[in-house]
Amino acid sequence: MSYERELLKGNTDALLLCLINHQPTYGYRIIKELEKRSNGYFQFKEGTLYPALHRLEKAGLIQGKWQRLPSGQERRYYYMTPKGQKTLAERLTVWQDFATAVALIMQPATG
Amino acid sequence: MKAMSTKLKYTDGLKDYLRLDAAIEANVVRELKAHLEDKSRELIESGLSKKEATATATKLLGSPRIVAKQMYEVYSQGSWRQAFFAALPHLLVAALFAMRCWKNTFWLIGMLIAIAGSVIYGWCRGKPAWLFPWLGYCLIPVMAVGILLIYLPSGWAWFAATAYIPLALLVIFSVTKQTIRKDWLFASLMLLPIPIVLGWMLALELEDKLIWHEQLHEFAPLIALSFVVLALTVATFIRIRQRWAKIGALLTLEIFILVIVGLGGKSAIGFGGWLILVLLALLLLLGPALLERKIRESDRKRLKSPNKSTRRLLSIISARRN
Repeated sequence: MSYERELLKGNTDALLLCLINHQPTYGYRIIKELEKRSNGYFQFKEGTLYPALHRLEKAGLIQGKWQRLPSGQERRYYYMTPKGQKTLAERLTVWQDFATAVALIMQPATG
Repeated sequence: MKAMSTKLKYTDGLKDYLRLDAAIEANVVRELKAHLEDKSRELIESGLSKKEATATATKLLGSPRIVAKQMYEVYSQGSWRQAFFAALPHLLVAALFAMRCWKNTFWLIGMLIAIAGSVIYGWCRGKPAWLFPWLGYCLIPVMAVGILLIYLPSGWAWFAATAYIPLALLVIFSVTKQTIRKDWLFASLMLLPIPIVLGWMLALELEDKLIWHEQLHEFAPLIALSFVVLALTVATFIRIRQRWAKIGALLTLEIFILVIVGLGGKSAIGFGGWLILVLLALLLLLGPALLERKIRESDRKRLKSPNKSTRRLLSIISARRN
């Protein structure tokens, strides 16, 4: 369990950046998307998501903007910045290399 | 109504622990409120009552204390530039003694202008963390008047002291109280030099002008060193994220500086005097935390009172906080 938590902790930023890069979105929907896309594997603690989003914003990787919906409700949408896109591209490359290397060792080709 | 109060209780709890700039704090609270509304709506659609939905939504969001702590750690770290600017007043005082310029009028006027300018600039820019070490030096005229009392004839000195001490305490208390409304740690940061300045004043034996001048020349390098360590303390404070580590850094380094003052001041301070200085340092560093609790409790009580004018007054205080 703690191994899973450590893995998620190390990749939280990349997961959030990936979702925001796909489409500008807000906190509540990010939690739902993560759960849906991972078939329920990623169940983010709701309270920890917002500090993570604000950390990314402070680092200049995303930018939050308030939007008022026709229903009158307000939501803070997060948009990707050019710095965020560059960081995401770097992280994806590192992740793909890492995943390939791990797979080569843990699931060696038979025959 | 009950669901509304659960939400309010949560956001109030969050505000109690956030201690961030007003604009950031308002953004965070607004965002979490929007999240609670979304989550509550989802839970109501799944069959829960409004009251149950709000209670579950706040529970799922987690303890306001933990959320606020994590949010605080995102914003509490200042940049290197801010750390340098916060340490600058102490570095200027250190340079004053290292270069023995305490009689240089230009240097002193320059310092006064720098202090006044920085305080006005920082005050108008939303009271950032770097402002408070500068603000601490604005209390020096209050202490300087106290020093001048020593030179009055003995009968007059006692008479003046009885009027001066309550007045000086009133000034220090009201400035501290205003600072505490932002964050008690900033008040500690502001009051940090007081035990050190008092320690050196005791060591210098101010009653005798001749000894005083001789000792000032002798102690100058150590006085400079103590203010360099003070500058490092402030810079460390600004750069650290965790609140407990900030408090630890202030306490440890302040005691370390008092050890320098105690050893440098030779027998003039004595062990008893040194212990009093340490107790004073602890009081000035941790006292603001107790004062903050008292202020918040009395604010909460006043907010609960039905008096409309009091509520309006509190909302003005809250707006002025930052």
